[in-house]
Amino acid sequence: MTATINESGTGAATGAVGRIARVTGPVIDAEFPADAMPGIYNALTVDVELDGKTSTITFETAQHLGENLVRAIAMQSTDGLVRGQEVRDTGSAITVPVGDVVKGHIFNALGDSLDVESSELDVQERWPIHRQAPHFADLEGSTEMLETGIKVIDLLTPYIQGGKIGLFGGAGVGKTVLIQEMITRVARNFGGTSVFAGVGERTREGNDLWVEMDEADVLKDTALVFGQMDEPPGTRLRVALTGLTMAEYFRDVQKQDVLLFIDNIFRFSQAGMEVSTLLGRMPSAVGYQPNLADEMGVLQERITSTRGHSITSMQAVYVPADDYTDPAPANVFAHLDATTNLTRDLASRGLYPAVDPLASTSRILDPQYVGQEHYEVATRVKQILQKNKELQDIIAILGVDELSEEDRVTVSRARRMEQFLSQNTYTAKQFTGVEGSTVPIKDTIEGFKAIADGDLDHVSEQAFYNVGGLDDVEREWARIQKEG
Amino acid sequence: MSAADIRVFRQKIDSTASMKKIFNAMELIATSRIGKARQRVAASMPYANAITRAVSAVSSQQDIEHVLTSEPENPRRAAVLIMSSDRGLAGAYSANILRKAEALIERLHEEDKTADLYLIGRKAQAYFDFRNRPYKGFWTGSTDSPDFDTAKEIGETLVEAFLTDYEDGGVDEIHIVYTEFKSMVNQEPMVIRLLPLEFVDEEVADESDLFPLYEYEPAPEEVLDALLPKYIESRIFSAMLQAAASELASRQRAMSAAGDNADDLIRDYTLLMNNARQASITQELTELIAGADALAE
Repeated sequence: MTATINESGTGAATGAVGRIARVTGPVIDAEFPADAMPGIYNALTVDVELDGKTSTITFETAQHLGENLVRAIAMQSTDGLVRGQEVRDTGSAITVPVGDVVKGHIFNALGDSLDVESSELDVQERWPIHRQAPHFADLEGSTEMLETGIKVIDLLTPYIQGGKIGLFGGAGVGKTVLIQEMITRVARNFGGTSVFAGVGERTREGNDLWVEMDEADVLKDTALVFGQMDEPPGTRLRVALTGLTMAEYFRDVQKQDVLLFIDNIFRFSQAGMEVSTLLGRMPSAVGYQPNLADEMGVLQERITSTRGHSITSMQAVYVPADDYTDPAPANVFAHLDATTNLTRDLASRGLYPAVDPLASTSRILDPQYVGQEHYEVATRVKQILQKNKELQDIIAILGVDELSEEDRVTVSRARRMEQFLSQNTYTAKQFTGVEGSTVPIKDTIEGFKAIADGDLDHVSEQAFYNVGGLDDVEREWARIQKEG
Repeated sequence: MSAADIRVFRQKIDSTASMKKIFNAMELIATSRIGKARQRVAASMPYANAITRAVSAVSSQQDIEHVLTSEPENPRRAAVLIMSSDRGLAGAYSANILRKAEALIERLHEEDKTADLYLIGRKAQAYFDFRNRPYKGFWTGSTDSPDFDTAKEIGETLVEAFLTDYEDGGVDEIHIVYTEFKSMVNQEPMVIRLLPLEFVDEEVADESDLFPLYEYEPAPEEVLDALLPKYIESRIFSAMLQAAASELASRQRAMSAAGDNADDLIRDYTLLMNNARQASITQELTELIAGADALAE
């Protein structure tokens, strides 16, 4: 099998023993015999006794400092470490279990099971988490649309089967809810294997997800990997790779189509930043690590579809202070096929999913892939919304009565469109009490076409709020009229 | 936040500031014209009152039988004269008039009458053009300083339509929708029926209000024939003057509000721009200090 590539530099010094020379938070320096230095990315272990319990801490070699010193990043808390303790080189990178055995279970970044004792799992094969991206010639650019049943996404940022999708958004605009909605919509009807990597987000959300998946009976086809916000930066830096390695096995060995969810890829960059200075690198723009683009590139290039077997990935990307020019989110943009931007403006008006229709894009929003009608309707919707945005300042100053007749019609249709872009979702049922809806792309196009053509100018705006297709709008309109 | 944001905000502030200059100028122009418009309204009152009194005196004759005063038995078509403005930047002035007109047209339809529209002002014309709704005639170009020639022309057109038979396209009623100038802060859209004349049967409170018993030569009908067109023209002209004063008052108020809104917007954008600027300064400082610290180690 060509897939198992061990990238660990020399790899020769298996079992070498060194000692700790320095401990600075999540980073240690260790001294090794000159002829048995651990290779870069090799896992090191230290046994530590704390409160009468013995545990093993794992490190990953990051730098050779010279004079027989290596610098390594801790994968667990370094409580109880002292200078001079023994460090063992495991001789290979961190390895994680792969194959059918991981389905239905929860793992940490090191591949230890969190829901059952690791010894209970019948692990046949372990893969190192550092691997090479598929070869150039093996890649396959897929252009088939992945229908989600969410109007705003299907219409304006159509997702790609086997593509990479980013959900961008500031704090609290609904990234995690949307990712969970996608799991509900896509994973349930998917049939293949799903892998969820929780990177530096809330532990509670991980638990919620586990329980929900169990209830929905999709847990048996899903592997969950968590390194949440309470974990040291080393874990958060590697947990995405752990999840990805499991996904790669399903793609390369079992030849399956795989769904990979990552929440949240920004935490990966953030963890890199946290250890970067401790590793002695000079901070770069906005204090990020100087190898920010490289780190992201190495990860993203592995998340890809090879000939015939796809990994469709959805990644939530936190946007610090709603600033899209921040280097971390800006770096992710280039890797994606479709970007869905969530905005605070819409979220604060209660319009969920708060997808910014003008800033979100997709590579396949092109008549060649989605068809002429879809493309035209999407373009018209964007034009009308853009015009409305331009008119907002004038309305703020002079009032809506000063607009010309054409502009007034544009504004009224744009307002209906904005409402119609919101939708009742399955995940939000616990907040709204309304069951979610799945709208076929055909109905979505038809609905927006009708609004753009002015066929629905007589229907009041409220009737478009939080509904599925046109049928729902008509039902809601009839109800509003009856209540008068 | 970045330099790009600062530039965008600066552009918005600049464009809002130049809009504000226009609003200020418009407000000043409206203020300077409104005095004259009010004087014209006041000046038209004595004649309008006198001719109304004269018409009332003639038509209150019990035995009079005149086409302009008798209610047709089965009115089927009505003319509606709508007085909007030529120019915008007058707040909801034209929108209110058009709303009132739509309500009137709706009411006429319910009474099984069709409405023939006669429009004054480009705003009304644009409104009906945009909706592809036909109108019989329009006059534009001088809504803020109406002249009597236009009023006379409109009056003649309407009276002619009124005197034509229904089968030939004539109308049975004439309504005017205009804005009454009550005060500088209060103008109200009004509907009045011009023809057939509406008689208000009031208890006559005072002896002096009673009309003297005139003798008409050669006959009251002929006096009415001569008097009524003048009365119609005077009523229309008076409504146009009221509308003009209302338009100017409305414009003055709208422009003053727009100026205030522009001030608010400039203040908001200035705040955001300063935030962005300070953020980028802090950013650069942090990076410089962090870099210097790293080098110092």
